[in-house]
Amino acid sequence: MTDRDSRGVLATDDAARGMGRRGFLRTAGGLLVSGGLLAACNSEGPQSAQPLLDFAERKNELLERKLFRHRSMASAPDGMRAAGDAFPGYHIADEIPTWDSEVNGAWALTVGGLVRTPLTITLDALMVLPRVTQRVPHFCVEGWTAVAEFTGVRLRELATLAGAHPDAGYVDFTSFDEGYHESWDRDSAEHDQTIIVYAKDGRLLSPKYGAPVRVHSPVKLGYKNTKYLTSVLFMAERNGGYWSDKGYEWYGGT
Amino acid sequence: MGTAGAHGATATLASPGVVHRHHWVVRLTHWVNAIAITVMIGSGLRIFNAYPAFAARGEAFCCWPTAGTPIPESLTFGGWLGGARHWHFAAMWVLVVNGLIYLGFIWLHGEWRDLVPRRGFVRDAIAMTKFYLWATKEHPRQGKHNALQRGTYFAMPYVAAASVITGIGIWKPVQLGWLTALMGGYVWARYWHFLAMMALIVLSVGHVFMVFAVDPYSLRSMLTGGYDESLSPESRNARPLVNLRPPRAAKVEAPHD
Repeated sequence: MTDRDSRGVLATDDAARGMGRRGFLRTAGGLLVSGGLLAACNSEGPQSAQPLLDFAERKNELLERKLFRHRSMASAPDGMRAAGDAFPGYHIADEIPTWDSEVNGAWALTVGGLVRTPLTITLDALMVLPRVTQRVPHFCVEGWTAVAEFTGVRLRELATLAGAHPDAGYVDFTSFDEGYHESWDRDSAEHDQTIIVYAKDGRLLSPKYGAPVRVHSPVKLGYKNTKYLTSVLFMAERNGGYWSDKGYEWYGGT
Repeated sequence: MGTAGAHGATATLASPGVVHRHHWVVRLTHWVNAIAITVMIGSGLRIFNAYPAFAARGEAFCCWPTAGTPIPESLTFGGWLGGARHWHFAAMWVLVVNGLIYLGFIWLHGEWRDLVPRRGFVRDAIAMTKFYLWATKEHPRQGKHNALQRGTYFAMPYVAAASVITGIGIWKPVQLGWLTALMGGYVWARYWHFLAMMALIVLSVGHVFMVFAVDPYSLRSMLTGGYDESLSPESRNARPLVNLRPPRAAKVEAPHD
């Protein structure tokens, strides 16, 4: 989903180079934005530009949310094959996470937060809910794309079943992959193509792809699509996410 | 010389032979653009390095023989994928807004006339090329910009627009899916975006090389606006890296203006 650069390491590196850059920045004045680039390539740029970058991210998010249409549907281009096993699978734990029912009991999905009726849904119960199968592209923040056929239940279906409150503008998707989670805006979560997936390419999800259940939507970049799902939480406020907290943009919309 | 008028001179500055060549709006947008494009290319290459290929997973791609080979890190900017994306999505607004100001200005103020290829463009371009290849002796006199410059400066906004539009197709492949589809889908949109960037690099590197190799005195005109006609490539009969020094009789010639 994302590369493994450690921000901590880069920050230290940056600080070591900072001195040489400072003199330059003073003269660059208003053109500060370019200072880091000219002084040190492959740098993160001057720290003082961070407020500007944050500002741009906030404004971009507003624009992206305005651009969002429930009717905009992703479709896999004609003639593009499903990636099958060439579809990459990432997780943050050292090993592929698997649900150990000996230890944790039978897996079930909880739907909670700002809802009228909190739900606990077993895999069997999930599979009898109205089923959607869609052949869609997946967009990774790294730049690759892959087609897969996902089968599952629309998140909107679960929102209705649980009676999610209209004030819940955000939805958090939590996993058992060392607490990996990502929160979404409610609009994206209730897009027709946002589904709680239990099968890929006609087979039940394998551990590599997030078994037993993951969320998938082509309207969000890959890292927003939590695998190894345990809970769906409706919230009044966003609560970041694993990669969002590491500095990737929170919205991550396509 | 007697051609200052044809060179678009609008005011004579302090010393004889020095004309006012570039309006401050043109100079400002030129340098803002230089910075924005540099940031866009550096951060774009860092983003590319996260997946230095074009093929969709499980598919082949016809037209990128070096798939899997990243761009040298020293040519990239942003430090890491997320950082480069933040720079890219911030600098894109600088590029677009600055570009629109520039285009709006040259449209309303008339500078576009110096940039649009005019009748005889191909003939003039051939004449310049022949001169640079030592096939002719005298530097052709083609006005403020020669045909090769006109071609470059005219193409630049189009190539920049292509890079912006293909970029939007990558940024919003679902919400603006029709745009992405026009480009042949996400994979091709990325490819066209990369090719547009390469065209920008070719034009920019060519431009910067020619500034230093043929007309370093024009740097002044892009900083203060003033341009010394007596130091022009025509006056020096300058080819790339040839006759860079001011002509000996430069100051004597100047009163022609």
